[in-house]
Amino acid sequence: MNLFLKRSMMAAALICAIWTPPNASAQPSWLQAEAIQAVLQGAAPIQPGVRLDIPAVTQDGSSVQVSIDVDSPMTPDDFIDRIHLFALDNPSPELIELSLTPLAGKASFTTRIRLDQSQTVVALARRSSGEWLAAARDVRVTVSGCLSREGTYRSEQLMQARVRVPGQGRQGAPMEVRTLIQHPMETGLREGPDGAIVPERIIERFEAAIDGEKVLTAHLHRAMAANPYLLFMIAPERSGELAMTWTEDTGVAATERASFEILR
Amino acid sequence: MTMNRNLTRRESLKWMGLAGLGAMTGFPSLSLGGDAPSGHIVVVGGGFGGATAAKYLKRLAPSLDVTLIEPERRYITCPFTNLYLGGVRSFESLWHTFDELRDELGVTVIHDWAKDVDVEGRRIQLSGGESLSWDRLILSPGIDIRWGDLEGYDEAAAELAPHAWKPGAQSRLLRRQLEEMEDGGTFVLVAPDNPFRCPPGPYERVSMVANYLKNHKPKSKILLLDAKDGFSKQGLFMQGWERHYGDMIEWVSRSNDGLVMRVDADHLEVETEFGTIHKADVLNVVPPQKAGFIADRASVTDASGWVPVKPRTFESQLVAGVYVIGDATQAAPMPKSGFVANTQAKVTASAIIADLRGLPPVDPSWANTCYSLITPDWAISIAGVYEVYDELIREVPGSGGISPMDVGSVFRKQEAENARAWYAGIAHDVWGTRSLS
Repeated sequence: MNLFLKRSMMAAALICAIWTPPNASAQPSWLQAEAIQAVLQGAAPIQPGVRLDIPAVTQDGSSVQVSIDVDSPMTPDDFIDRIHLFALDNPSPELIELSLTPLAGKASFTTRIRLDQSQTVVALARRSSGEWLAAARDVRVTVSGCLSREGTYRSEQLMQARVRVPGQGRQGAPMEVRTLIQHPMETGLREGPDGAIVPERIIERFEAAIDGEKVLTAHLHRAMAANPYLLFMIAPERSGELAMTWTEDTGVAATERASFEILR
Repeated sequence: MTMNRNLTRRESLKWMGLAGLGAMTGFPSLSLGGDAPSGHIVVVGGGFGGATAAKYLKRLAPSLDVTLIEPERRYITCPFTNLYLGGVRSFESLWHTFDELRDELGVTVIHDWAKDVDVEGRRIQLSGGESLSWDRLILSPGIDIRWGDLEGYDEAAAELAPHAWKPGAQSRLLRRQLEEMEDGGTFVLVAPDNPFRCPPGPYERVSMVANYLKNHKPKSKILLLDAKDGFSKQGLFMQGWERHYGDMIEWVSRSNDGLVMRVDADHLEVETEFGTIHKADVLNVVPPQKAGFIADRASVTDASGWVPVKPRTFESQLVAGVYVIGDATQAAPMPKSGFVANTQAKVTASAIIADLRGLPPVDPSWANTCYSLITPDWAISIAGVYEVYDELIREVPGSGGISPMDVGSVFRKQEAENARAWYAGIAHDVWGTRSLS
């Protein structure tokens, strides 16, 4: 048999093992999770149109890169307006909720999350018409024997943000934006050296806007990896300035701005 | 514990003492009663995994026909190449031969490249035109570089900015570049994201390079650009660096913009995720990796580029009768190390023989110790023992650990001695060779 074909069939078999198309008799069990139902409120997600990329095996649960990409024209009539991400067996399953506008151009983002143990990661996406899409992936978390991790956080860097925005783009061609802010994302679950619980302290909100017009807003929960990272898309019609604001749960905020030029 | 009958008591003791935990735990007891198994086992790769597998197949079941395919007549170990780069060990001391396997154990050793595998016909093709049939196939192909995954880093770029992550000409090239570097130059090492061969390797490498530069070019700097926010034995490495090299070594984590996105080998420059350009005098890129080429040809790799295996035997999850060991496998939490490959080889040899006899495999146990030298007399280590639990590999709770922080030079020097003894012991176990230095 053609090797490529064989490989594709294996890949297909693996995907089927995780995603069972919904029908009256067999819903995937993760759909019943409380955190998922709190969002869906009884709605049944339709066929998979969400790509959820996450390593099947990860050797460091403290920072796992995950990418979500949803098929959508992202026009004012038909776009993805919300994306939710969950890790069902974390102490709190919610990871991040994104609210998007057509100005994003592409319903696609990458971030880094914490996984407390091997479990199922679920992405839900809502179309502007109200329909929900979904995807789930099983992730095995091992802590490699050669990968014991030490705390490396430096407090003097707290709230320092980095951004990378292309200086130039073409009209109609979505551009990639990367940003990261230095922050420990204290979960409120960890003991400090004195044995006392280190109180929860997190970045809870991220907003991106072009000349005052919203592109994306994100609510972050405590299971987002330290030094929250986001890669997302923008598709501006004309030259302008992108403003990005990270807000801590104390109310402290950091804003970064970057100008870009759009060629027609 | 049942030892092989061919080992004399004296040899056994020596062997246990040198190879230590690995020899004991990686070699499950196996009843040698019953019919002598027969069949042809082909082993691809003469490194820590493959050479050990060939040796222990013959030791456990001399009636088997065992063929080892390895292109090199002299195998060069990846462990301790950092010591060569640091100028504290000769390159020749890392060379090992296959004389013992061929002359004393009766393994057929063919020096050629495995070119293709026909998994249905159970045949393997060699570059020289020969084709062999097998009853069981063991692949221990190590790693290949994912050329092109890192923009600008291809085979031509590696001639200017070596990876030296597969020992040989690349190691010599990097050593020559370090020797030619001016005092006051900058050595830049680009470290990859997990998983990759030898998790503490990049950090031992900068330690050994620092050792060389401190003694010969003390005005030089070392910049370690990392795709990760943490690394193996991090606290111990950083404490050692500060003590021995002051501020010579700067580690840049991923969150501090350490992720390199593009390499310009012509100008010895790299560009990070957030757009910083770093200029090197010597640029060492440890690139993203995948299972060795022949694993792809045997259809045992998955989308990750690595090989999923059945935990008890290391038989491929995708192709029956093909076993894969060493760095090419997805065996986490076991790291990709020579020690692990050595114990995996023993478990798999025993599992294949059990299978040929129609018996179930015994409960496996594997072990690892990774020593890292920060100076020739200052070493740190990490150890672990692994088992199958709930049909997955896990570290035996409480089995392992790392060297303590904050201990003095006597302790660290003893670990450096242990590291050298480990190398001598495992080389003897795998190839029957003694190192020259």
